[in-house]
Amino acid sequence: MKFSRKVFFICLTMLILTTVLLTTLYTQGRAHQLAISSDTPTSPDWGLADVDLSAKNPVVTPPPPTEDTCLSCHILGQNKSLWTPLARWILFGGLGLVFAFGIYRSGITWVTKSPWKPLTNRAADWVDDRYKISEPLTKILKKPVPKYALHWWYCLGGITAFLFVVQGITGIFLAFYYKPTPESAYSSIQYIESQVYFGSAIRAIHHWCANGMIVICVAHMLRVFIMGAYKRPRELNWVSGVLLLVFTLVFGFTGYLLPWDQRAFWATTVGSEIAGAIPAIGNLALIFLRVGWNVTGETLSRFYGLHVIVVPLATVAFMGAHFLMIRRQGIAKPL
Amino acid sequence: MSEIEHSNEDSIPFYPDHVRTEFYVVLGVLVVVLIIAIAGMIKPIGIGEPADPLNTPQHVKPEWYFLALYQILKKIPPIVLGIQGKIIGVVIPVLLVGLIFIWPFLDNKPDKSKRIYWIRLAFVIVAVITIIALTIWGEVS
Repeated sequence: MKFSRKVFFICLTMLILTTVLLTTLYTQGRAHQLAISSDTPTSPDWGLADVDLSAKNPVVTPPPPTEDTCLSCHILGQNKSLWTPLARWILFGGLGLVFAFGIYRSGITWVTKSPWKPLTNRAADWVDDRYKISEPLTKILKKPVPKYALHWWYCLGGITAFLFVVQGITGIFLAFYYKPTPESAYSSIQYIESQVYFGSAIRAIHHWCANGMIVICVAHMLRVFIMGAYKRPRELNWVSGVLLLVFTLVFGFTGYLLPWDQRAFWATTVGSEIAGAIPAIGNLALIFLRVGWNVTGETLSRFYGLHVIVVPLATVAFMGAHFLMIRRQGIAKPL
Repeated sequence: MSEIEHSNEDSIPFYPDHVRTEFYVVLGVLVVVLIIAIAGMIKPIGIGEPADPLNTPQHVKPEWYFLALYQILKKIPPIVLGIQGKIIGVVIPVLLVGLIFIWPFLDNKPDKSKRIYWIRLAFVIVAVITIIALTIWGEVS
């Protein structure tokens, strides 16, 4: 099939899915609204979740999540807070800019009597005039890739990398609303699930792509192992890949605690206990993970720091090295 | 270095041909992501009971990708060969990861024939089936 045809079909699928998403939201919001208009209109005050701070291990009793999903209010035209004016500015401002540019372009072509040079070409020429990058860039872009690299099993590593990007983006969105303290972690997750625009969709993507990333990362590693692509001269690529898999597992382990529910709490307790059973360094590892002998708020802070700062930076660094090595050595030739 | 250079017949340029293929793959994954988003809007993942350090639930389980390891630890006899079973159950996976880590330096002879592919494939299948079996066992027990 032709390239444009394929892209057309994929984009059509995505458009249909988006329509389904918005329709579901609308109907859901409608049902919610009807339910709420018959119920009490007051919403729980999320700032006043019931917490006993003087207790040794404070426990949150969150207010019941009976709130309307506010995206639906927006779609129904009730919530004109931020998005409506912003969307208006983008739409009408964009159209205005296009219109102004059209007048400018027509005028210039008429005055100079010469064909218009596209803005992208001008920008490229401007940059190339100063930094002389077009030649090395062409060399980089035109580098030949063997045809056997088009088999589907060669794209597992690429999918893992893409899922990492997805995780980064959705993770940033979640971090805007998440609060890594034992008092408010749980209720902030409830807030994300029930109040934030697309909050539950973002959380679902983060959750399932995390699982998918582990599966595909392992599949990529098995592919490399079976084909013997780890052999000389690609030993270090294998080593960095194993490290990246370990980082992915650390991501999973640290991220699992963050919702601060029973499952998360006890899975972390058990997991750090396993680490504590290693001879000689066990207790050190246990204390490093838990920041003390028990899983507490300190553990949550530590896991949050590891999950959003330390491990992502390390992963990005090793991914860069992984890609550069592939680039330099090419893709391993199968027998 | 002959592996690195390719003749023009059996290769395609990185841009646009290879990038275009990657673009398809990314679009495909995006469709899956969109489906997950819709599913998430219809039925949110949800969250369990709030964490309570004083109340241990009946079935404590780690994430599914550590379940196989956890199952080994649970089912290993208390004393194996005069050493505590728990220590063996922890040390062996750590050593295995170390072995995987340095594997290219141990198995460094270039492949001679297709046969070695099949041997490695069989090994992988056995290992994967074992791990999946342990995971399922851990999930249902």
